Amino acid sequence: MACSLPLSFAFESAAPCTAAGAASADAELLAQLQQGSEAAFRTLVLRYQDRIYRTAFSLLRSAEEAEDVAQEVFVEVYQTVGQFRGTAALSTWLYRLATSRALQHRRRSAAKKRFAYFTSLLGFDNQVLHDPPDHAHPQALLEGQQGLHLLLAHIGRLPSQQQIAFTLRHEQELSYEEIAAVLHTTTAAVESLLFRARQTLRRHLQAPSHHV
Amino acid sequence: MSKPVLRPGSEEEWEALLHQLRQTPPAQPRPFFYARVQARLAAQSPAPKAILLNWVRRPAYVALLGLLGLAMSGDGVVPPPPAAPHPAGPTARLPAP
Repeated sequence: MACSLPLSFAFESAAPCTAAGAASADAELLAQLQQGSEAAFRTLVLRYQDRIYRTAFSLLRSAEEAEDVAQEVFVEVYQTVGQFRGTAALSTWLYRLATSRALQHRRRSAAKKRFAYFTSLLGFDNQVLHDPPDHAHPQALLEGQQGLHLLLAHIGRLPSQQQIAFTLRHEQELSYEEIAAVLHTTTAAVESLLFRARQTLRRHLQAPSHHV
Repeated sequence: MSKPVLRPGSEEEWEALLHQLRQTPPAQPRPFFYARVQARLAAQSPAPKAILLNWVRRPAYVALLGLLGLAMSGDGVVPPPPAAPHPAGPTARLPAP
């Protein structure tokens, strides 16, 4: 079982069995990381790469940007793990980095898009503006998934905090407490964010929509 | 009257939609993700500092710098040779008779 193995044997599956096992495995991993162990860093990446990538993908809906964010998260962990004081769980720290980096990316690309739009209006360049490729969610590409496609589109338009809470809850299946830790807030605030997100989504999805 | 495709008005329909969301095939990074992270880390290593340190650590350059310092530091570095005894001349004091 992965959680009882030393780091060197836990590379490939690297998925601890229970919550308590995961916490102790993460604590051990953190200690190794802070000693500068390359093996521990490799284990960390293998253990968390899917979760971090999925979180970024859920917020950005772009495979390329999600890859970029996931890489940035692990590079930042490698460079700053010595300063991490363990006030939060390792997974919480990683989710925090992933969500904040993803939002930064989104803001940057929105700003770039606005800038390109204004420069094109002023005639500074003659480049044709392209929207970033819309990498739809894999499932939404299947036939008969129009409802899901609409839901994903409306999730992308939620306010940032609501979007993070909704994504972490319904796609990453984190508990309210874990989401509260990621967002530096209380479980009551998370409940409120999720309630408002659901209300907004249901309202939009009930309304007849001709264009998303 | 035509009904829109999606109207998750009831709780059941909404829950079904959320269930559908949870059942989506998870997005995954491309293979060899760790190798790409390693490459990014290597690209971000602080190169200028390392170059400076290597330069300073080279003993030949350090010795050369030291010699240059000595050469350019003026007369004070090399002590003047000890004064030679003056030869006897007209100004030399004669011994007392």
